[in-house]
Amino acid sequence: MLQLVVGQTLNGVIVGTLYGIIALGVTLTFGITGIVNFALGEFMMIGAYATWYLVDHVGLPFPVALVPAVASAALCGLAADQMLFRFTRNNLVNGLLVSIGLISIVEAGALALWTATPKDMSYVLTGALRLGGVSLPKIKLLAFGLLAGVIFLTYAALARTWIGRAAYAFAQNPEAAMLMGVRTDLMQTGVVVYSCALAGFGGALYASLYSLEPAMGGLYILKGVEAAILGGIGSLIGSLVGGVTIGVTEAIGSIYLPNAFRDAYGLVFVIVILLFKPSGLFGNEL
Amino acid sequence: MKALLWLPLLALPIVYRGDVVLTICIFSFLLAMAAVSFTLVFGFTGQLSMFHAAAFGLASYVTYLFVSRAHLPFWIALGPAMAMTVLLSLVVGTICFKFKLKAFYFAVVTLAFSELTRLLVLNWNDLTNGTLGLLVLEKPTVWVPGSGVLRIEGTIAWYYLSLAGLILTVGVCWLVLRSWIGRCFAAIRLDEDLAQTLGVDIFRYKLLSFTIANLLAALAGSFYGFYTGYIEPSYLSINQGLDIIAMVLLGGRLSLSGPIVGAFVLTGLPHLIELSGEVRAMLYGVILILSILVMPNGIVGSIAGWRRAA
Amino acid sequence: MRIRLGWLSAAALAFALPAGAQETVKIGQIEAQTGPNAIYGWMSSQGLPIAVDQINKSGGFKVGDKTYKLDLTSVDTRGDPKEASIQLKKMLENDGIRFVFGPFLSNVFVTIEPYAAQFNGKFLLMGGATRMHDFVGAPGHDFVIRTWNWDAGPKGFGNLMVEQLVKNTGAKKIAMLIQNDQGGKVLADIYTAMFKEKHIDFQLEMFDPGTKDFTAVLAKLAAGKPDVLFPGYGDAAIADIVRQSTEGNFFRKFFLVRGSLGPGLKNKDEIDDYFVYVPKYFEAAEKTDPKIAKFVADYKAYYKRDFPYDQAPLCSSSCYDHVFMLVEAMKKAGSVSDIAKIRQALVSMTYDGLWRISYDEKGEEIINFDVVHMTRGGKISVNSVEAR
Repeated sequence: MLQLVVGQTLNGVIVGTLYGIIALGVTLTFGITGIVNFALGEFMMIGAYATWYLVDHVGLPFPVALVPAVASAALCGLAADQMLFRFTRNNLVNGLLVSIGLISIVEAGALALWTATPKDMSYVLTGALRLGGVSLPKIKLLAFGLLAGVIFLTYAALARTWIGRAAYAFAQNPEAAMLMGVRTDLMQTGVVVYSCALAGFGGALYASLYSLEPAMGGLYILKGVEAAILGGIGSLIGSLVGGVTIGVTEAIGSIYLPNAFRDAYGLVFVIVILLFKPSGLFGNEL
Repeated sequence: MKALLWLPLLALPIVYRGDVVLTICIFSFLLAMAAVSFTLVFGFTGQLSMFHAAAFGLASYVTYLFVSRAHLPFWIALGPAMAMTVLLSLVVGTICFKFKLKAFYFAVVTLAFSELTRLLVLNWNDLTNGTLGLLVLEKPTVWVPGSGVLRIEGTIAWYYLSLAGLILTVGVCWLVLRSWIGRCFAAIRLDEDLAQTLGVDIFRYKLLSFTIANLLAALAGSFYGFYTGYIEPSYLSINQGLDIIAMVLLGGRLSLSGPIVGAFVLTGLPHLIELSGEVRAMLYGVILILSILVMPNGIVGSIAGWRRAA
Repeated sequence: MRIRLGWLSAAALAFALPAGAQETVKIGQIEAQTGPNAIYGWMSSQGLPIAVDQINKSGGFKVGDKTYKLDLTSVDTRGDPKEASIQLKKMLENDGIRFVFGPFLSNVFVTIEPYAAQFNGKFLLMGGATRMHDFVGAPGHDFVIRTWNWDAGPKGFGNLMVEQLVKNTGAKKIAMLIQNDQGGKVLADIYTAMFKEKHIDFQLEMFDPGTKDFTAVLAKLAAGKPDVLFPGYGDAAIADIVRQSTEGNFFRKFFLVRGSLGPGLKNKDEIDDYFVYVPKYFEAAEKTDPKIAKFVADYKAYYKRDFPYDQAPLCSSSCYDHVFMLVEAMKKAGSVSDIAKIRQALVSMTYDGLWRISYDEKGEEIINFDVVHMTRGGKISVNSVEAR
């Protein structure tokens, strides 16, 4: 029993990191542009399908394929920003509707291109690490390392570099930041593009772990938003912690309780935490 | 004056008997009921509630269960459904509003409760038959002077019943908005903190708005379930909620006619355009985006704006 | 449109025109071609147009002394019951269609059934939805013809599958991981009943369709030490479940009644046994059966793309063969509008096409099928079972 719990906790951490990278995208976008980009799940999907296509049809090795895949997600993000999100800054509701419209378009496009038949990419890394009865697939460990690494790098970059401080300044007081010479329009576009790139990266790793369907993004954006709220909007480490918490809660919940309610366990946890700390685990009082 | 706009709708089945168009109208009326009630809490009070679909779907289950198991007539069975809606609204609303959750958090928490409700309905197989759904064979009955008691069956009967439901929903919302309650809603929408300093009990009025909206959605849901003859857990899904939101945003959220227009457009559009599923979905997305970028006040709001400017 | 003429002119025309005045028979199809559940309607929507095209290109078909061509209206329900009810209304009331293929989705069928029942005796609904089993042969439901066969019951394939499993692996306990939706729920009900009857122990867990990571629930099931895993339906979930089962060392034996061999082959070095019910294993059949080979070639020529081997088995329901069967039935009945006669002809025939198809007394299909058994390393043995 213990090995079951330990094994599943570890797995929950890994799964949660994938939620976490989407949550990071959500929290960055909200902090700097004032909207929630619900379509991040679709950018994840773009990254995933791009990776699959490059690996299975063009024949690139997985590590090489990552670069164009993430780049395509980022480029799509740029297009979306210039055509849509640019007009909905700080307007939560408009941003929501525009995202929903975007989701319809992107998902329909993916369905038309690749049909609903799921695509299973060729395995990148097979085999698992066996530690005392617990099996941890190597590819999952690799994905975990890469995702956590990117999240920490983002955090470090924002904390240490000039761009990062400018971003924090903008998030706190947009007008003051502008007066101090921060190019706010570039910053906002940059954040949207970066969060789409993050989602695309998550998608690329997703492709190495699971089968792809055009509708895959829906689940992840929902979990990403939950994780961002749980960790506290505005906190980068919070998004990782939030994601991991949800991943672990789901895993442990479905062991002791019916698996049919799996999604509920994370939801209940979020509600409970919000009741005690309305700004989330690491968030600042709004 | 605006009441005159109802006349063509009332007269339609007398003039035109095409079943397909009337069916689309029925679906539009029922979804419009849900959309109008949604704009009460969203457009007029400024709170983005994601619980609407749950109220809509859950009520249809409860009404049907009381009809089939307790053998109550439809209109009596609405009672427990309404009571349950009020209870849930109070619980969820209190949790959300007491803790002063801001707009975005409110949306997520109502979403969480909505999903929890859906999962419960989905898995409580003994009561709801889970994912297989419930077949509704009973129909509401109405006493019509001269003809006695009629079962509401068939397109014409349902047309008038759903239209009546829509008129009732709009009527209730209009009365509420006209009153001092409506003014409090507007105050909350415009500037919550200011409203509070002016003495408006924002907790009470938010809760009231949320509850009334959910009650009207419950009525819509009950009609919907009995009309389609089939109730399933997807009535409580996020997609159902997003459809309603899209109708309100497209039609115009600061009016009662806006959601109705939105409901008609989004329900009828797929049938006017004969295109493949993917192209249709893409078109839907493009329409939504264009309506936000070009017409942020929705169709009705924009028309009103142009008329004012002219 | 028919032009009304006097008796004499009509007689004169009958001699003047060649005995093959072109008329059309309208047929319709309502399936989910797009959307999350499109897998269960997409293949049907692919096969029907090929059949219609072939029949029309060969000059149509002759019933009595008239030659007819087929006019197909195929709509996409997107899996939305509301859409489907409006589309069916259009077909029956506006377009005058009397022969409708589909639906494969149970929730769509259940929603359109009350409306369709009003037209009982006036049209035929030939579809594969699992829930149709509850209505086929019931009073007032002559219009229902189920174009797919049933797992349970004396003529079903479920029994045979389970027997094969026990014979080959001696399994005594089976773990079931099934989708929590219409199709999954019915599947769970059928097989739990069957396992109980055969004294096989089982443990059932349901999951939300769309789930991707099954590790936790697989670990939970594996802790009960079952012999085999029965992983729901649909390749999407099965691909992930099989991969995670072997990676996590939870299961090495799998039993499938709706899915393809694909996931098994992909993990072939990690699997001990993989049993799958396949309406037809196209990869092998293509090499031995000329009709299958021709169908694959026709598909490629018509759509100018690769043949979807993984989806092709779903052509066993309201897809390709069934159009030809309908035409045969009309010929036998000598009419294109006498619904009762056509129905009678349809359910009493045996047709040899891609499959060997017949119907039981209620109107539910009986077809032959393959049971594919793959063992470690990818060694495949196919057992073709004749319809009972």
